[in-house]
Amino acid sequence: MTLHRNVYQVLADIVGHENISDEPVILDTYAFQWLAETISGTKFCTRPEAVLLPGSVEEVQAIVKACNSNGIRYKAFSTGWGPWNTVGGEGVIQLDLRRMNRILEIDEKNMFAVVEPYVIGSQLQVEAMKKGLNCHLIGAGANTSILASATSMAGYGLSGIFMGYSNCNVLAVEWVLPDGEILKLGSLGSGAGWFGGDGPGPSLRGVMRGMIGALGGIGVFTKCGIKLYPWYGPPTTPMEGIHPLDGMPIPESYQAHSLTFPSWEALADAVYRIGEAEIGYVMGRALPPGLIPVISISSAADYTQMLQMVTIDEFKYAIQIILGANSARELEYQKRALEDILKETRGKIIPMMEEQSVKNILFRHLIKSEGISRVFQLAGTFATSLGAGTSWDAAVASGKLGEQLKRKYIERGAIADDGGDLAWGGAYQHCRFGHLEEIIMYDFQDPDSLKGAEEYIEESAQAAIDKSLGQPISIVRGMAEQFGPTSCDYHIWMKRIKKAFDPNIAADPSFYVEPAE
Amino acid sequence: MTLQDYRIDIQRCSRCSLCKWLPLSQIKSWRFANACPSMVWGNFHAYSAGGRMIAALALLDGRIDYTDKLVEIVYQCQMDGACDVSCKVNRDMDPLEVMLELRAKCVEEGQVLPAHMVMIESLRSDDNVLGEPKAERGKWAEGLDVKDITKEKADVLYFAGCRYSFDQDLWKIARDAIALLKIAGVDVGIEGKEEACCGGRAFEIGYRGEFTKYAEHSIETWNTADVRTVVTPCSDCYGAFKFHYPRIGKEMNFEVLHITEYLDRLIKEGRLKPIKKVPLKVTYHDPCHLGRLSEPYIPWEGVEKKVLGQVIIKDPPREYRRGTSGIYEPPRDILRSIPGIELLEMERIKEYAWCCGAGGGVKEAYPEFALWTADERIEEAKATGAEALVTACPWCERSFRDALEQNGAKIKLYDIVELLLEAL
Repeated sequence: MTLHRNVYQVLADIVGHENISDEPVILDTYAFQWLAETISGTKFCTRPEAVLLPGSVEEVQAIVKACNSNGIRYKAFSTGWGPWNTVGGEGVIQLDLRRMNRILEIDEKNMFAVVEPYVIGSQLQVEAMKKGLNCHLIGAGANTSILASATSMAGYGLSGIFMGYSNCNVLAVEWVLPDGEILKLGSLGSGAGWFGGDGPGPSLRGVMRGMIGALGGIGVFTKCGIKLYPWYGPPTTPMEGIHPLDGMPIPESYQAHSLTFPSWEALADAVYRIGEAEIGYVMGRALPPGLIPVISISSAADYTQMLQMVTIDEFKYAIQIILGANSARELEYQKRALEDILKETRGKIIPMMEEQSVKNILFRHLIKSEGISRVFQLAGTFATSLGAGTSWDAAVASGKLGEQLKRKYIERGAIADDGGDLAWGGAYQHCRFGHLEEIIMYDFQDPDSLKGAEEYIEESAQAAIDKSLGQPISIVRGMAEQFGPTSCDYHIWMKRIKKAFDPNIAADPSFYVEPAE
Repeated sequence: MTLQDYRIDIQRCSRCSLCKWLPLSQIKSWRFANACPSMVWGNFHAYSAGGRMIAALALLDGRIDYTDKLVEIVYQCQMDGACDVSCKVNRDMDPLEVMLELRAKCVEEGQVLPAHMVMIESLRSDDNVLGEPKAERGKWAEGLDVKDITKEKADVLYFAGCRYSFDQDLWKIARDAIALLKIAGVDVGIEGKEEACCGGRAFEIGYRGEFTKYAEHSIETWNTADVRTVVTPCSDCYGAFKFHYPRIGKEMNFEVLHITEYLDRLIKEGRLKPIKKVPLKVTYHDPCHLGRLSEPYIPWEGVEKKVLGQVIIKDPPREYRRGTSGIYEPPRDILRSIPGIELLEMERIKEYAWCCGAGGGVKEAYPEFALWTADERIEEAKATGAEALVTACPWCERSFRDALEQNGAKIKLYDIVELLLEAL
C-alpha cells in the first residue's frame, strides 16, 4: 500500500514538506529496529507509509484527525528504541516526535518539570540537578524519552527505591486521543497547571497507561508533568577519566557500594529490610553478576580477559546501592542501617568494588543510568524475559527461574554464558514492589543462537504463566491476550478501552490490543 | 575494509540513538546536548550515524536504490566523528568508517554531488580543492624571508594546505605562524607553488583514487627530500596525515606536528616567551581534525570468534579509536601561557566538541547547513561569557567568519597563532 498522493498532500500541508517523507531510505531507517529479527526474521520490520515530524500539539491533532478522516493509521514514538515503536502493518504512518523537544518548565519549589516527548533523561537530569533536583531514569538508559516512559511504557529504573517508577511520576498530561480530541489529564484538566496527575481534573492514569503502557496504541502524548526528587550533590557533575571508563566523583552526600549475599533468599530479605529502613537513593541490580565485569572493560575482548582475573561467582547474588542524604548525620544513619542489614542477612560489601575509581564508575552508571546498554556489546544483542512488576519475593522468584531456565541454553551454546544470573531490576518505592527481568545475550546473526533465544523467550513466557509470575516485561505482539486470562482478564478491559477511545482504530493497535468485538 | 566488510557490524546497530548525543555522562545542559549537526539539521533518523548505517545496509541488501534523497543523506554530514565517539562508549563499532565506506561506494557507483565534482576537478587540474590556479599557491608567503624547500634543505617543512594557500583573508595567520617560527629560530622552509593538496578532503568525500594519489605524492616527496619534520597550521591536513595516510601503508619517515604542538614545544623549551599581556576572555574551539579525527588510524586484520558460547570477540584483540588521543592540551597550554588570557571552556570540548560546519565537503555542497552548524558553535562560545572564540584551523576560521558576517554575532575570532604573536 502506498499513501494516496492526496492524503500525502493533506499531511504535508499540516507539517510542511520538509517534515514529511515517503522516501524508501527514510522509511527503512524507521523499519530497522533492535529485535526486529524476532518479528520479521530480518533487521527490518514493516515500513511505515510515511514519516512525519510534527512540531506542536496542534500539528499532532491535525494529523490524527486527518488519519481518522482518511482511513489510515498512525503510530507515534519519541526516542523510538525497540520494535514496539515500529508500525504493525501496512497502511500506517509514523510520527517521529523529535521536533517536540523542549523542557517547558522546571518548578523548583513544587518539584516537577514539564516536558515534551523528545526530552531525554540526561537532558532533564542535568537541568534538574542545577536546581538541586533529580529525575527518575529508566534502566534502558538516559537516552530515552522521559515522557514516553511516563505515559506509554513500563518505566522501571534503579532510582525507583527512592523515586518510584514512571507510572507514579507522571503528573498532568496533554493527550491527543485516537480520534483527535485533546484531553488534559489531572490538574491541567481544571486549568490548575501541571502539578497533579489525579486532580483536580480527570484522573485516567490507569486508562492512559496502566502498568506497562499502551505503546503508542491509544493516541499521542504531547506534554506531561514529571515529578522531581531531591539531588544532594553539586549542580554540575564533571566526569574524571577516559570514557567508557570515566567515573563520576562521589559527592560527600553519597556513598556507593556493591553487595553480595549467600543466597537469593538472603538477598531478598536484605532488600526488604532496606525498604523498611527507608534508606537508599539508588538500589538494585544495575549490573547483575554476569555484567559486573563490564564496569572495567572497554570492549568485548576485555570482558573475557576480565573473567581470567575474576569469576562471576564472586558476584553471586549481588546488588548495588547508593546511599544519599541531605546531611552527614542522615548519611551516617543510612550507613549504619545498611551495616546492620548486612549483618542480619550475612551480606557483605564486595572488596574489589570498593576501589575508588571503580566506585566512581559505578556511581556514574547508577546515577546516569548508562550501564545496561553494555549488554549489546558482548554478543551483538540481547533480549529480556520475565520481569513482571510484582512483589519483591515474586520478582526474586523470577530471577531464580530465569537463571534455572537459561542453564540448558547456555549449555548448548545458544546464548552467552553469563554465569546464568543476569536478572536485572530492583525493588521500588521502598520495596512496595519490584521486578527482576532475566536478560539473555545472543548473536542474532547466528541461526542457532537466534533459535535458542526465541525458544528461551517462549519457554520463559509459558513458565511465567505456569508459575503465576505475571506478564513479562518483554513486549511481544499479543501479549495482553496471552496473559490476560491469567490476570483477571485485564485484556478485555483494554480492548473495551481501545474501542471506546478509538472507534476508527486509527492508532496502530499492533503492540497494544485489538479493540473489543 | 569495504562497506560489505562492515555488514555484520552494521546489523548490530540497536538504533539506540546514542550517536545523536554526547556520551550521556558528558551532557551538561539541554541546550548543548546534541553531538551530531547533521541529525539536528535533517531531523529524520536517516541523518544520524545509525540511520546512515541502516541506509547502507538497505543499499547492500537491495531494499533501496540510489535516489537524490539517499545521496543527500550520505553527503549532508561533516564526517566530524562525534557520533563515532558516542557510539563506542557502549559498542565495538565504527560508524564513521562505515560512513566513509558508504561515500566511497557512492563515488565508485557514480553517485556524486556537482559541488564535490568541482572540488575534484580543481584537484586534478590545480592540486587544490578550492578552484584556484596552482601557480598562485605560494603567494601567501610573498615577501617572507623563508626557505624554498624544493631548492634548499630546512629542518622543518611548513605545510600551509589549500585553505591557507588561497584564502587571502587568512594569509595573515599563515604568515604569523612563520613569524613565530622564525622568532624561535626555527630553520623553516615551504614548498611554495609546488605544495599540493594533502588529499584529506578527497578521502572524506569518497574519492579514494585521488586521495591515494596525493598521499603517495606527499609521502614520496618528503621521504625523498629527507624531510624530518612537517609542521602544518591546518587541522584538516593534520588529520589527513595522522588518520588517513597510514591507510595506504607507506612508511612515513618524517614526524608530523600541528603548529600548536610545535609552538607549545617551543614555549616549553623557552624559545618563545609570551610576556606581553593580552587581556582577553577566550574560549577555544577544538577543530575535529585536530581533536578526535587526528587520532592515528589503527590497522587491524583479524577475525571474529566466539567465546563463552556467544560472546563475540575480535582475534587478535582490536583497539578502537575513541577520540581521546587527539591534540587537546597543546593549544590550551599555549593559551594558558599568554599573560592576561582567561580560558573559559565550552560545554562540548575535546573529543566531544561540536563541529564548525566546514568538514566533509559540506561547506561546498550545503553552505546553509555549514553556516547553521557554525552558528550553533558560536552560540555555545557566547554562552561561556568569552569575548573571543579561538581556534586552530583555517577551515573552522573560515566557517566562523562566514557565520559571524552573516549573523552579526558580537564575538571576536582569532587563530591561536595570532594571540601568541601578540604576546611576544
